[in-house]
Amino acid sequence: MPQKSGERERCVTGIEGLDTILYGGIPRANTILLTGSCGTGKTSLALEFLIHGAMKNENSLFVSVTENSEKLLTNIIPYRFFDKGLIKSGRLVFVDLPIMYERLGMTKPELSMEEIDLLVAAIGSLAKELGAKRLVVDSITSVCYKLKTSEKIRDFILNLGKVLSDQNCTSVLVGEVPATSTAYSSFGVEEALPDGIILMANMERRGDLLRTLQVIKMRGTMHSRAKYVLDLTPMGVLLVPLLKGGSTG
Amino acid sequence: MSPGEAFNAQKLASELSEMPPASAISLQMSVDNYLDVIRGMLDLYANRKEMDTIYVTATISSEAIKRVLEALDIDTSRIYFVDCISHIMMGATSAQLDEHTTLVESPTMLENLMLKVEYLIRRSESKDKLVVLDSINSLAIHNNNWILSEFLHILVSGLRSREAYTVILSVEEHSTPEINNMVNLVCDHVINAGKQGE
Repeated sequence: MPQKSGERERCVTGIEGLDTILYGGIPRANTILLTGSCGTGKTSLALEFLIHGAMKNENSLFVSVTENSEKLLTNIIPYRFFDKGLIKSGRLVFVDLPIMYERLGMTKPELSMEEIDLLVAAIGSLAKELGAKRLVVDSITSVCYKLKTSEKIRDFILNLGKVLSDQNCTSVLVGEVPATSTAYSSFGVEEALPDGIILMANMERRGDLLRTLQVIKMRGTMHSRAKYVLDLTPMGVLLVPLLKGGSTG
Repeated sequence: MSPGEAFNAQKLASELSEMPPASAISLQMSVDNYLDVIRGMLDLYANRKEMDTIYVTATISSEAIKRVLEALDIDTSRIYFVDCISHIMMGATSAQLDEHTTLVESPTMLENLMLKVEYLIRRSESKDKLVVLDSINSLAIHNNNWILSEFLHILVSGLRSREAYTVILSVEEHSTPEINNMVNLVCDHVINAGKQGE
């Protein structure tokens, strides 16, 4: 998409509805927190963001923390546009963070400040080596469990965001929150640091459970702040506006 | 056709044929000629015009409509159903197995209905597409007029931008002035399919 002068270059997510909400895509090199409770479609959306990137010849890296990447691929929706050749060609790369921990000798339940620096450097080096223009960490919350303190979490997210941004890499950090939470993050720190927050949720309306998406903030662009309903389909994530008529919620 | 005129399938087909792409048509009918109208319309669009048809049913199950069409030798290979009623009737098992049928859990999930239509439109390789909403009266049983009106506006505007034909069915005996106004607001043409012929 051609940029108007003075406007930030966009990383077009390829998810049509989301690009419309963001007036053209995520500002390039932004770090986004994609947060929500379980079953809201965070991983599917993050993966689709990477697949579209790889299809546009942007190297894309998925750092899996909670789930083994092989298992992840078998459970994911069979996207019609997904070509396994993207993985074979190295355009789309999956890395399991537990293996990275092991290689870096990070066996203790809590990481020290030095280890955090080491981890950030390792992810940064990998992204650089691969020439990654898009990166997903799924989930940042699982990494935070190994960091324990607010200071360490802040350090990790800020440094990781800076390393990736310096490489012009647009990153999506997947966050998990309990279904009942009104906060955007589990530790209360993650939400203050990224350039953008996309909230995914389950919304109950008269006994129906709808999957919703809302962009809470996004630095460097105008964006809609309305709530949208989404569906995970073999054609990708589809979005429509949440109907408000007659709703009291 | 004017209200009160006897139903004439050929005349209905002729009126529908004249509609330009991206038209939104309000097709009003009587309970008595409901099946004849559906048959005539699907035969015209899905078969003679070779157009993929997305049929949103909230009145009777997609299985029942398919059975009727097959009994009348109407080819259903270009018809894709978004079935909003089978699941709520707890009779969805067979429909789930059919790749021509997509289920929406309840007719109250209007956003999901729009999403399924959007999905089928994207999946379709046919140049021209028709979306049939059967019927506004059935949806009005489950939804209030405010949300239904908003739904129609967003759905029809979206379909228009994709140059798809939209046909909104309404049954005269079950309609109210509010429902008629709601449909007329988003439609360019109103066709009255008349009463059952002699």
